[in-house]
Amino acid sequence: MSCLLFHNDKDKYRYSHHNGDSTCKGIDVHEIFMAKSRVRLLLSHIGILVCLVNCYISLVKDKLCSSSIWKITVILLFAKFVQYKPVKKESIVILPEFGVQLETHYWSGQIARRFVPGGKILRPVLNDCVTPFTCYWSLALILRGEDQLMLVFQELKPPLKLLVPIWKALRSSFDVKEGSST
Amino acid sequence: MDGPQRHRILMVSDFFYPNFGGVESHIYYLSQCLIKLGHKVVITTHAYGNRSGVRYMTGGLKVYYIPWRPFLMQNTLPTFYGTLPIIRTILIRERISVVHGHQAFSTLCHEALMHARTLGYKAVFTDHSLYRFADVGSIHMNKVLQFTLADIDQAICVSHTSKENTVLRSGIDPEKVFVIPNAVDTAMFTPAPKRLCYDEIVIVVISRLVYRKGADLLVEVIPEVCQLNPNVRFVIGGDGLKRVRLEEMREKYSLQDRVEMLGAVPHAQVRSVLVSGHIFLNSSLTEAFCIAILEAASCGLLTVSTRVGGVPEVLPDDMIVLAEPTPVDMIRAIKEAIEMLPNINPQAMHDRVKKLYSWHDVAKRTEVVYDRALLCSDVSLLQRLPRYLKCGPWAGKLFCLVMMINFLLWQLLQFWQPSKSIEEVPDILILENEDKEICGKLRMP
Repeated sequence: MSCLLFHNDKDKYRYSHHNGDSTCKGIDVHEIFMAKSRVRLLLSHIGILVCLVNCYISLVKDKLCSSSIWKITVILLFAKFVQYKPVKKESIVILPEFGVQLETHYWSGQIARRFVPGGKILRPVLNDCVTPFTCYWSLALILRGEDQLMLVFQELKPPLKLLVPIWKALRSSFDVKEGSST
Repeated sequence: MDGPQRHRILMVSDFFYPNFGGVESHIYYLSQCLIKLGHKVVITTHAYGNRSGVRYMTGGLKVYYIPWRPFLMQNTLPTFYGTLPIIRTILIRERISVVHGHQAFSTLCHEALMHARTLGYKAVFTDHSLYRFADVGSIHMNKVLQFTLADIDQAICVSHTSKENTVLRSGIDPEKVFVIPNAVDTAMFTPAPKRLCYDEIVIVVISRLVYRKGADLLVEVIPEVCQLNPNVRFVIGGDGLKRVRLEEMREKYSLQDRVEMLGAVPHAQVRSVLVSGHIFLNSSLTEAFCIAILEAASCGLLTVSTRVGGVPEVLPDDMIVLAEPTPVDMIRAIKEAIEMLPNINPQAMHDRVKKLYSWHDVAKRTEVVYDRALLCSDVSLLQRLPRYLKCGPWAGKLFCLVMMINFLLWQLLQFWQPSKSIEEVPDILILENEDKEICGKLRMP
């Protein structure tokens, strides 16, 4: 089993690559770990506490009427907005000829998994994304018969240096035509 | 001996493709020629409808369509500091050396140049139009221009008249302003293969039918010319608010068979309309340069134009007949042009225009401007602030305050998102392989 560890400057993202041992030959696992942001977690707890206190005050002090229900709804929406569900790692398991499994592991223990059959993958692409305030790279899969791209990493935004080896691995496993771009 | 310096240029303007116009095509052609000279060019503009994000055009020209919606006449909403994060990100990730803004009417251009100066990048500005001095809109616009040009490294104007106009409006030092005229794609605008006969003289007009482009003059001139010359026919391409007046004129004088209205003509079809005529008529009331008459001359048409703005600087005297912007003088000029027609050789005219104007020449001259800009010394905020104080007793202090806040916001952004955390983008090299297929290759920094 070969394992490659890669840190970026801020130690925020960590990349790990498992190339399959004697029992699971051919299976390629790429993982990106993210450090938990304590500051953000603290701010999120404070925000939720403030929302709960406001809810309590609305329920106990004010009578239950349409305006207080409206206030509570707004407070709950705000609580949802400040909620921080830290991601422990996102991984992609490449099973050549078969497909890819995309996993998101949260620190709470929850795991979200998606499987994409190999036949459905037209091409993996690296996208330069632009928002009104910043730019970032994303790795996505163009799927046959679908308008939307499927993001490989739903929650994390790892840097390009970490995405390139994964993109190359996906291309060597699933790309139909070789030679048009490197 | 060191080779020529390779620049990494960021062109910024609210006006770019898919919108079509003089500024848009100027930016595109200039960028393509700069890429051919070996420089790296990145363009930043606002999103057009669904066209948002990064796009690549011919030759690896990268365009950022920033998802800020335009709010008035194609311009991005001016928020002063709202575009600082995205412009900073683009400048760092593309490793830009020079920021080149286009068009005084573009809010994105002014904001980008302001941020570029705060971040310590070299800034160049190109002014494409002439503006007035007296009305409220122009006074505000000129004040904004004064702010931008107070701390610019170099400026470019498209004609000497435009340089005079820009210097007067903004108070910039004339030595910082270069004059680089526009050019024309002579490969696209070629004369008709077969020379037209002179039994019927066709006069072509292609412009936006608005006040500024002299549509009211056309309404006065056309009936008179049709009456004096029975063998003259007009072809009018373009649309606008004044189209109604021209239609009314046609009805009033029963000129339906002598005046043909084509409506809006897509740029790809302009050449086919031009080569159907002998004379090109331009009645603009103001023009910094007027690429339209250059396109017409490239197609071998004799031009009749109003003597306004930078028009007299565009063509030699034997290719253009100038007139004052009055109906009487324009009729006189058209008569003179009709008499000159048998002596005109369209192919010779095209060859002359080809020698006089080329985008490669414009790119080489612009390269000199970039070299000069990079020689300008780096200055700190404290050294830059006195430049703004010269803008006026109240305006100067306001501009200083704006720049100080911009500086503080930049420092905050440096703390929040350090420059090191912004990844540099690999360059995409466009190569041709053995099978003559165009392919791209990533070159990591």
